[in-house]
Amino acid sequence: MTHSGEPVIRVADLKKHYGDIKAVDGVSFEVARGEVFGMLGPNGAGKTTTIEVLEGLREPDSGVVEVFGLDVCKHPDSIKQRIGVQLQSVALYPRLTVAELVDLFGSFFDHRVPAKQLIDAVDLGERANVRSMNLSGGQQQRLSIALALVNDPDLIFLDEPTTGLDPQARRSLWDLVKGIQAKGKSVLLTTHYMEEAAELCDRVAIMDHGHVLEMGTVQELIGRRFKERAVFFDTSAQLPSQKLAGLAGVTRASQEDGQTLLYSKDVPSTIGALLAMADDLSIEPKNLGIRQATLEDVFLDLTGRALRD
Amino acid sequence: MKTLIGLTVANLKSLVRDRAALFWTLFFPVMFVLLFGVLFSGSSDSKVDVGWVDQDGTTASASLRATFADVQLLKLHDGTLDEEKAAMQRGDVSAIVVVPAGLQTATASAANGKKASVSLALYTDPGQSSTDQVVEGAVTQIANGFNLAVLAPNSAPVLLVEGQSLTSTNISTVTYLVPSILAMALMQLGVFAAVPLVQQREKGILKRLGATPLARWKLVASNILLRLLVAAADAVLIVGIGMLAFNVQIVGNPVEIVLFVFLGAAAFLSLGFMLASFIKTEEQASGVVQVVQMPLMFLSGIFFPFDFMPEFLRNFARLLPLTYLGDGLRQTMVNGTQIAPLGVDAAILVGWLVVCLAIAARSFRWE
Repeated sequence: MTHSGEPVIRVADLKKHYGDIKAVDGVSFEVARGEVFGMLGPNGAGKTTTIEVLEGLREPDSGVVEVFGLDVCKHPDSIKQRIGVQLQSVALYPRLTVAELVDLFGSFFDHRVPAKQLIDAVDLGERANVRSMNLSGGQQQRLSIALALVNDPDLIFLDEPTTGLDPQARRSLWDLVKGIQAKGKSVLLTTHYMEEAAELCDRVAIMDHGHVLEMGTVQELIGRRFKERAVFFDTSAQLPSQKLAGLAGVTRASQEDGQTLLYSKDVPSTIGALLAMADDLSIEPKNLGIRQATLEDVFLDLTGRALRD
Repeated sequence: MKTLIGLTVANLKSLVRDRAALFWTLFFPVMFVLLFGVLFSGSSDSKVDVGWVDQDGTTASASLRATFADVQLLKLHDGTLDEEKAAMQRGDVSAIVVVPAGLQTATASAANGKKASVSLALYTDPGQSSTDQVVEGAVTQIANGFNLAVLAPNSAPVLLVEGQSLTSTNISTVTYLVPSILAMALMQLGVFAAVPLVQQREKGILKRLGATPLARWKLVASNILLRLLVAAADAVLIVGIGMLAFNVQIVGNPVEIVLFVFLGAAAFLSLGFMLASFIKTEEQASGVVQVVQMPLMFLSGIFFPFDFMPEFLRNFARLLPLTYLGDGLRQTMVNGTQIAPLGVDAAILVGWLVVCLAIAARSFRWE
C-alpha cells in the first residue's frame, strides 16, 4: 500500500514527564494517511501517554504534536471533531443501552453516522437495547469501537483494543480494524501482542521506557536483526550441540525448553547435513521444523527481556 | 443545547435505572413524610381544639357554652384569655372564643326591645386556614341561631362576631416536619451527587467524554440541571403528600419557596461537587457521603426544634448549612419559628455555595 500526501500525525521529540518519571522521553514518528500504525511495547513503555497527548487529553511538556497538520494544543476542538477514540479501559455509562450510547455520543459531534448502520457494522444489532453493563467483554469492546466511529472520523486511536479478550473475540475485532482500514481511514493502535501488530499494522514502532527503539514494517524489523532462520528439533543426547555447530550454514546452536535450535543462513544445506548425520547414527530428529524470527525475538534482542514480562 | 439535553437525559436514565440512587433521592424522603405524618397525626384526634374564655360568667354565657359544646367538631378548653392565648401559641388550641362581660345584660335588654349588642371575640391563626374555616363557620352559625332564639324577627342582632388574628408561633409536628424533610431531601440529593461523579471518573467516562468535542461546562451544567429537576420532583412529592395526606397548610409566597428550594439544592450540590473532588474511589464515595449527611441530618435542628437542643449542640448546629435551609423553608412555607432572619438564611446558603464551588473548581480531577 502506498501512502501519500501530508501525514495525519506528526510527532517530533515529544516529552512528557511526571516528576522523575520520564513517561515519554523524546518520541518522534509520523503516520501517513490510510496507514495502520502500531505502537508495540510492554506496560509503562509510554504508548498510552503518547496516544493521550495526540487525543488532546494531556498537555505535552515539549515537542511538536500535530494531527491533520494542526497543533493539538491550539486546535483541540476541531481535531476532536475528526478523530475517533477508544480508551484502554472501557468507559461507558453502565445503565445506558447500546443504542442510547451511540445516540448520546453522536450528539457531541457536528457530523455523525446513522446509529443503526453503525451498530450493525460492529455486529451488535441484536444487542442494541441491552444495557452496556450486561454486554460481554468482546461486545463492550466492539461498542467502544462503534462509539469511536460515531462521527465517521478520518483518524482512529485504539489503545490496546484486544487486551483481556478471548482469541475468538480478538479475531472478530481484528476483522473490524481491517474493515476500517479498507475504508481508507488511518489508525494508530497500541498493543502488547506482537501477533496483533504483525496482523494489523503497516508499520510498527517498538517502544520501551519512553523511547522508540525501532520503527518500520514488521518484515523490516525482523530482517534488520535476524538474517538467519532457525532449524529446531527435540534435543537428543546423540546429537550434541557442539557437533551440530559445525554443520553447513549454521551460525550458532543453542538449546532451550528441550529443543535444539540451529540458526542458519542456508536452511536447506543445514537440514541436509543434519539428516545425514542422524542417518549415520540410525536415529531420526523428532519434531523437526523451521522457524522465522518474530517481533517477539526482535523485542527480546532489543531489550534483553520478553515483551510481556 | 441539543447536547446539553441529551447528556441530561442520559444522566437521568442512569439515575432512574439505579435503584439504590433512586431510593435515596426520591423514596427515602417520601417514606419519611409518610412515616412521620402517620406517627404524629395519629396522636391528635380530628376535633378542633378551641379555647373558651367566659368573661360574663352568667347563665346566658353558660347556655351559649352548652350550644358550642354540642358541636361535634369542636372541643372546648376553659381558661382565662391569657392562658388560652399561651395555649394557642403552644399549638394546644387552634382558636379562642371570648365571651365578653355583659352578655346576659345585653340579651335581657334586647328581649325588652332595647337596642343592645355584644361582640364575641374569635381568635384564629391565618396560617391555619382550614381550621379557621371550620371554627369561623361554627361560631357564625351559633351566633345567628342565638340571635334568632332571643330576638323578635327583624330586630338588630345582639350577638356579633369580631375576628381577631393571633399567629401561633408553634405549629403542629407534621407541619414542622414537612419543610424539614424537604430540606433533608435537598441536602441528600446534593451530597449524593458526589457518588455518580466519582463513579464516572473512576470508570473513565469523564476522560472518554474529554476526548470528544463536548465542552466541560456542558458536562457540569447537565449535572446541575438533572439535580435541580430532581429537587423540583422532591419538593412536589413531599409538599404534595404533606398537603393531601396530612393537611399541612403552605402559607408562604410561592416565589420565595421555589427560590429557597433551588438555592438549597444548589448549595448542597456544590458541596457534593466539592466532596467528589476529594474522594478517590467508588467505595470511598458511599462512605464519605454517609459520614457527611448523617450529622447534617441529626445535628442541624431540622428534626428537633432548635430550642430543645442543649447549648453546645445549638452552637454546632449554627455552623451547619442545613440548619439555615431548614429554617428558610420553614419560614417561607409554614411560617414557623425562625432561627435567623430569612435574609441571613439565604446569605449563609449563598456563602456555602460560593465557597464549595470555588474549592471544587480548583481541585476537581477529571481522571
